[in-house]
Amino acid sequence: MVDGMWEQHGEDNRLRLLCSGDHEAFTWFVDKYKETVFLCCRRLGLREDEVEDVASETFMAAYKGLSRYSGRSELSTWLWSIAYRKGIDCLRRNRRERQLEDEQENEIAAGREDGPTVVTEGKETEQVVWEAVERLPRLWKVAVILHYREEKAIADIAKIMDTRENTVKTYLFRGRQKLREMLSEVSGEDCNAGK
Amino acid sequence: MPANRPNQGNFDEMLGRALRRHSEPVPADFTERMLRQARELDEKRIVSRVIWQGRLALAGTILLGVAAIVGVVALPGRIGAILSSIGMDFTERGGALLDRFHQAAGAVRNEWQLYAVLAVLLAFAVFCLLDLLVGDRLKMA
Repeated sequence: MVDGMWEQHGEDNRLRLLCSGDHEAFTWFVDKYKETVFLCCRRLGLREDEVEDVASETFMAAYKGLSRYSGRSELSTWLWSIAYRKGIDCLRRNRRERQLEDEQENEIAAGREDGPTVVTEGKETEQVVWEAVERLPRLWKVAVILHYREEKAIADIAKIMDTRENTVKTYLFRGRQKLREMLSEVSGEDCNAGK
Repeated sequence: MPANRPNQGNFDEMLGRALRRHSEPVPADFTERMLRQARELDEKRIVSRVIWQGRLALAGTILLGVAAIVGVVALPGRIGAILSSIGMDFTERGGALLDRFHQAAGAVRNEWQLYAVLAVLLAFAVFCLLDLLVGDRLKMA
């Protein structure tokens, strides 16, 4: 309890320092969230050279905007929304955004051709699950990661992805259903249980 | 929605656990690079602020000079009278401090529009000068 209070106090203090432009607090901030930002950029399907650029742009935009950060949403949600927006902008710059919807369909079709299950032999569950997630269409993938890995609420995911809550629910429902099919071996469930 | 389906809890739990265990590769020097970029950004901000302060100070100096010239050209009699009255104050009545205050107050009362403009210009000039000399240190503190 006391530890928790101190932790909270430390976090608040760091956040205050961060918003005032303190470099040490910024180092802590980058260290804490760099993995998340790279995760977001890669899952959006950016090329490796674009990933680093977009991650840098995200942190610099956050650094510039931190003095205006109101604290209404969680810091991680705020950063995710910047990273997501920058990633989508990068895709748009490269004229790939129009393919987003088409690709979703194509990727699903490709997934069906490969068969519903992923190869599990000799692999850790984590690796198998991750491979299955990677095969989802990118928007489903981002929604699934935000919900199951980052434990974000539907409303927060909708805010990050700049879309309606019902759309997020659809992404999650379909993503989950597809994963269930692909992971039936790992989860030990019937492929059709979730249908 | 799948919320009430059997085995959902297990599947969601397995999914969440597996995804949370994943660690995303990040270039080793990424934090240092970000810190360097943040420092460069701060330096750019300071340089741009100093440039603006310089422009403001220059504009203030030019404005003050122009105002003084306009004042002398447009109101030579009034300016001359004020200056000579001040001069007389210093030379002839240099003694009594209290009297001078009374007279200065009287002069300001009579010519308050002119003194108001001069006061504003003087305050602006002082502000520009202070901003140029110690503005940065104050802002950094």
